[in-house]
Parts: sequence; C-alpha cells; structure tokens
Amino acid sequence: MARLEDIPQPSRDAVVAAPCPTFETQPFVGGPPLAQRRVAIVSSAALIRRGDKPFPFGSAECRFLPASIPAGDILTSHVSINFDRAGFQRDLNVVYPIDRLRELAAEGVIGGVAETHFTVMGSTDPAGMTATADQIAGQLRQERIDSILLSPV
Amino acid sequence: MLEERGFSTVAIASVRPQAEKTRPPRALWTTSQLGRPLGEPGDAMFQRRVLLAALSLLVRTDGPVILEDFNEDPPGWLDTPRWRAPAQVGPTDPPETPGAWAVAFGAELSSLMPLWRAAQARCGRTTVGLSFQAPAAWPEFAARFLAGELPAVPELDTPALALRMLSDDIKALYGEAAQAEGSAPSARQIDTWFWRQTVAGRLLIALRAVAMVSENNALKTVGGRFFVPAYWLP
Repeated sequence: MARLEDIPQPSRDAVVAAPCPTFETQPFVGGPPLAQRRVAIVSSAALIRRGDKPFPFGSAECRFLPASIPAGDILTSHVSINFDRAGFQRDLNVVYPIDRLRELAAEGVIGGVAETHFTVMGSTDPAGMTATADQIAGQLRQERIDSILLSPV
Repeated sequence: MLEERGFSTVAIASVRPQAEKTRPPRALWTTSQLGRPLGEPGDAMFQRRVLLAALSLLVRTDGPVILEDFNEDPPGWLDTPRWRAPAQVGPTDPPETPGAWAVAFGAELSSLMPLWRAAQARCGRTTVGLSFQAPAAWPEFAARFLAGELPAVPELDTPALALRMLSDDIKALYGEAAQAEGSAPSARQIDTWFWRQTVAGRLLIALRAVAMVSENNALKTVGGRFFVPAYWLP
C-alpha cells in the first residue's frame, strides 16, 4: 500500500495523523562490508510461538524468536486490523524473511544470520521501550550481531 | 534506539510520510501492502530484491538520514480474474438468534474444512491458533457473546482478548481456505468475499455491535477499534 492513495479511508487519514516519535540524536553506526555482516531481524508484527500468549494490547515487551522455530509455529498477534494478513498466511517471509536471509548467508552475500531474532508490538510508543531495546542489545552482543533489519507490518 | 546502542539498522518503511517524520538512520520505502513489507508471498526473487536493496543501505556512508525508494511495484495488488470464491453455503439473510448464528456459521465452517486442509498442505502450515480453541468450538463460543455472556478461555486473560483472538482465527481460516487452490487472489478479493459474502463476516459485524454496547470496557474497546476495519462496516 503503501502509497497513501491505496490505503482506504479512514485508515489513510489515521496513518497520516499517527503520532511519530522524534529523537534528539541521530546516531549512524558503520561497519564492515556486507559479506561480513551478521544480521538479525526485529519484526513489529507481534509474532508469537504457537501456544504462547498473544501480546497484550499496547505492550512494550519484546519476545525472542529463536531461528529454530518452525515456520508453522509462528503466528502474528498484532492488535491492528488494518493490515493484510493473507500474504503472511501464504508465506512467513513477507513479514519475517528468515529464509531469504539464510539464502543470502549461504551464498556469502552476508556474513551470517542471528540465532535469535526479535519481535515487538508495532504502534507502541518507543518512549516506553528503553528496557526492551537494552534487552535486545544484550542478546545481539552475545551473538556478535552487528546489523539489524527492522521489518514492519 | 538500537543504533544508539551500537548496531547498524535498516528499516523497511511501509508508509513514506511516517519514515520522513521519524527519520531512521536508513530506510527503504516500498509500495507493498501494509502487512507485506517484503512484498510478494511465494515470490522469493521479489523478496530477495527488496531484502538486498534494504541491506545495501547498511554499507552506505552518506547518512544519517538515508531514505530510499524501492523501484518495483509488487504485482500482488492486482485482482486475479481466474480466482473463484469458495461456494457460499450460508443463508442470505442474517440469522435472528444466537443459536441460529451458531448453526449457520457452523455449517459454513464445515463446508470450508476441505479447502482449509488443502491450504495447509499447500503452504505447509496454518496461521490459525491464536484463540486456543478448535474450529468446532467457534460457533458456540461466538453465540455466547451474541447472547450477552462473557465466556473466557483459560489461556487468554480476558473475554475481550478471547473474542479478538477468535476473530483473528476465523479470518485466518477463511483467508487460508480462499488461497487453497489455483492462482492466489488479491487481498482485496479475499476481504470482499469475507466481509460481504460469508456468514462469518456478517457474524463478526454482529459481534462488533454487541461488544460496542457491552458494559465490559475492554470488550467495548475491542469492538470499537480492533474488530472490523471501518471500511468494511455496512
């Protein structure tokens, strides 16, 4: 959609009017060539493992997604009803491109794929997510990850 | 926030004005539908091109802020003329009692089970499972809400959450059944079928009406904001 004219009303106006966070600093972290980068996914689709409780509405929590979870056990519990789920139903990779990352790693395009990925509930105010960011950063350091793909829904 | 902690980040941006306001260090805007940031289901090459375009921003040095546009439109926006909606089995008039809703919805669900199983064989998975209830239990559970009760599920914290997760499971089962055979329909085709032609779609609209006048505030909120997209309301 996400051309504005493709988003049906009243969702279009809501998207445009949605409060967006601003940040006082503009960090910009460099790194090695792509072939040496180790990449993790942070998805805002509120993904859960089958059998786990869904994200509560407005939750600022983060959940870890071990890369070993089978695709059939990953569900989305995002609160929004205004995005398409048919694509996700057919192919997990449109939201959580784990297979595509693995292929790039196998070909040497990137240096590696994290053993742990991360998911949060999109539309949550990041001002309340400092602890969540710290939690993610701690795990990333443990796995020597230097690069992150942020995948929205 | 993660860049501040020492990591290179790149975001796929679904809504360009939001990326312009938020100004992340690196972002790739795509015209994919909301909910499909990588583009096309089942199209690994398209997903790969999106992913490579995003990852290539990680090694750029001309930021912050880098906001690039992905230069391909995903083809999945277009309707599939050959797609045919699953046959309608429900009544054309809305049922008048909770029990009648349960019967009509149950009959429709039963008729879709073969397609749903075919979809699972085709995709290797199902995204149904949020409600902690088997489909056979859905009609009666929904009817209890229509009757003014507040049934609960042990695994979910509130009746409001149980109803919301039930609605997600219903939509997932129907969405998967609609994609079980032949060429994939567009999201718009699935939604039009679901909200305008199925008992389940009309049931969710009826449940929304009940939730919105509930004295349970959580249920009222779910009904008003998180149940039926405004553009599908009658």
